[in-house]
Amino acid sequence: MTRDRLAIIPILLATAIFNLCAAADIPVQEQIVCIRCHGAQPGRLGEPVMLWRGSIHAANGVACNDCHGGDPKDLVNAMNPDRGFLGAPKETAIPGFCGRCHVGVLKDYLRSAHGMALGKGGPTCVTCHSNHLVVKATLEIINEKNCSRCHSFERARTIKDAMRQTEGLIVSIGKEIEGFKSEGVDTEKLEKGLFSVRNRFHTLFHDVDVEKVKQESTQINADLNKLSGVLCKITEQHEKRKLAGIVVVGVALLAALIFYLLRKTYD
Amino acid sequence: MTSMKRLYDWFEVRLGIKELVEKNLTGYLLPRNINCWYSMGSIILFIIALQVVTGILLLVYYIPEADKAFGSVTAIMNTMPFGWLIRMCHVIGSNMMILFVMLHMLSTLFMGSNKSPRELNWLSGFILFTLVQAICLTGYLLPWSQLSFWATTVATNSVGAIPYIGQFLVEFLRGGKLVGAPTLGRFYTLHITVIPLTMAAVVGMHLFFLERIGVSTPPFGLDNTKNRWPGGVFRYDDHPGGIPFFPNYILQDMTSIALYFAIFAAVVFFYPNIFFTKDSFVQANPFQTPAHIKPEWYFLANYQTLKLFPNEFIGLSIQGAAMTFLALLPFVDRGNEKLPLKRPLFLTCFIGGLILYIALSIWGHYS
Repeated sequence: MTRDRLAIIPILLATAIFNLCAAADIPVQEQIVCIRCHGAQPGRLGEPVMLWRGSIHAANGVACNDCHGGDPKDLVNAMNPDRGFLGAPKETAIPGFCGRCHVGVLKDYLRSAHGMALGKGGPTCVTCHSNHLVVKATLEIINEKNCSRCHSFERARTIKDAMRQTEGLIVSIGKEIEGFKSEGVDTEKLEKGLFSVRNRFHTLFHDVDVEKVKQESTQINADLNKLSGVLCKITEQHEKRKLAGIVVVGVALLAALIFYLLRKTYD
Repeated sequence: MTSMKRLYDWFEVRLGIKELVEKNLTGYLLPRNINCWYSMGSIILFIIALQVVTGILLLVYYIPEADKAFGSVTAIMNTMPFGWLIRMCHVIGSNMMILFVMLHMLSTLFMGSNKSPRELNWLSGFILFTLVQAICLTGYLLPWSQLSFWATTVATNSVGAIPYIGQFLVEFLRGGKLVGAPTLGRFYTLHITVIPLTMAAVVGMHLFFLERIGVSTPPFGLDNTKNRWPGGVFRYDDHPGGIPFFPNYILQDMTSIALYFAIFAAVVFFYPNIFFTKDSFVQANPFQTPAHIKPEWYFLANYQTLKLFPNEFIGLSIQGAAMTFLALLPFVDRGNEKLPLKRPLFLTCFIGGLILYIALSIWGHYS
């Protein structure tokens, strides 16, 4: 072996080490065979991976095999039905496909006008949430562009407006609870209360009955106001502590001044 | 003769109160150029007393069991009357204790008060500094929060870098391979009995050495800034014509303590979470490592130093060597001059060391 050929060994070793280090930094779901194979392909076959990377599923570590099944560690059997591979579901099977994880949402959807129109031109989960670029469930999904694909936006707008105030309240109360928690306040009851109210609120997301949404939102707002009341009491208590602090610091400074003047007198 | 006078006379005959007061208060003379830095010791004694009182009050409700500790601390903070105040005073007091021990040591070093014949005062002070750090470290685990659990995991892990016996020491400290219920038991025992009793003994020794040799003279505002101690024979360092400890200097001590208390109360009431992070209020979970676990501010320089060396053992050895050098400094630095301006090498090392410590701490915080 010539000297030149020997020189290539350290380069190969360095490349191998670099690749190993780089692999260690890649999130686990990126290392599954589905992504390694489809991610490298152009066009229709590679598109799902590209879309998935920007989804809420990718952000939460939900990978291809979590929905489509199969064996993510075996390149040959990755899409083998014997290993639980499902592939893309038919339109009417989509709610059941997603509902394996989102059990409560499936129930709400099937009860709604959207769900009742399943298979008759009605929307499925992917109509609003997209299939691979799965969008987080927020009020922003209810928008003119999405809704007016099937019907007018007017009714949806009324529902959205009724829910907007509640959404804002939930977010602000959540932030306030988080703030108190980071100060050592026991927020367990408040967190549980907000969790329960938020769940009730989320069931409305798939309801298209305007009156029901308005009525429920009013009830939920009342419960949220109760939580706000508890938070206000905690804030008041903290304000009182600060007032007490002003007195204590003031007395200590006054004492320091008196001792200092006394010392000067003796000097 | 009034009953009070009779009572006084009764005690006077038996205890010699007049002589005691004269010797230790009115007749106890201090250098005329004494400054406010000399009241650091009194502030530290006040802090220790407050720590003992708040610690005892916390013991009433604290449960030292892994599955109940966090709940008991949460209950103290939220449901016990003034529990939040007692806990905050204890937590903030512990940080203040470290800060003021550091200030006391720095001022002593700067004024050359650690020089002969006060080597024992310096050495006992240094031991106290280590004990204060140890009591803070052991107390850190007791709330059984995510922060305390993982900070203790990191701190005890460092000991593993010692060759041959490192792993044994880690398991000895933890009471097992991982931090868990036995660690809490061990740290609790150390925190409330072994370390406080040792501290009491060392504080006693420190005060005894001060009482025997007398207060040092600060080198400022004097023509002769040299060490007055002749060496060879024991001699009490008296200060004829000086100012009496009572009432003059005790009023300086009271001024300093009141000022300290104002700062301390301001932190307790207005910035109570200054020494806490979000993870301080989440129950310990051995299966979930928080993203950024950093030690307390007083260990940040040590933490950063360990990261600077490729081998943890080298980092630990260098820190150990630096601490030993500092502890034995009065045995090494035997020059007579006490004024820092006339000791350029000392002054450079003092300022350089201080800047290095602060820089390492800031670096450790942001790294």
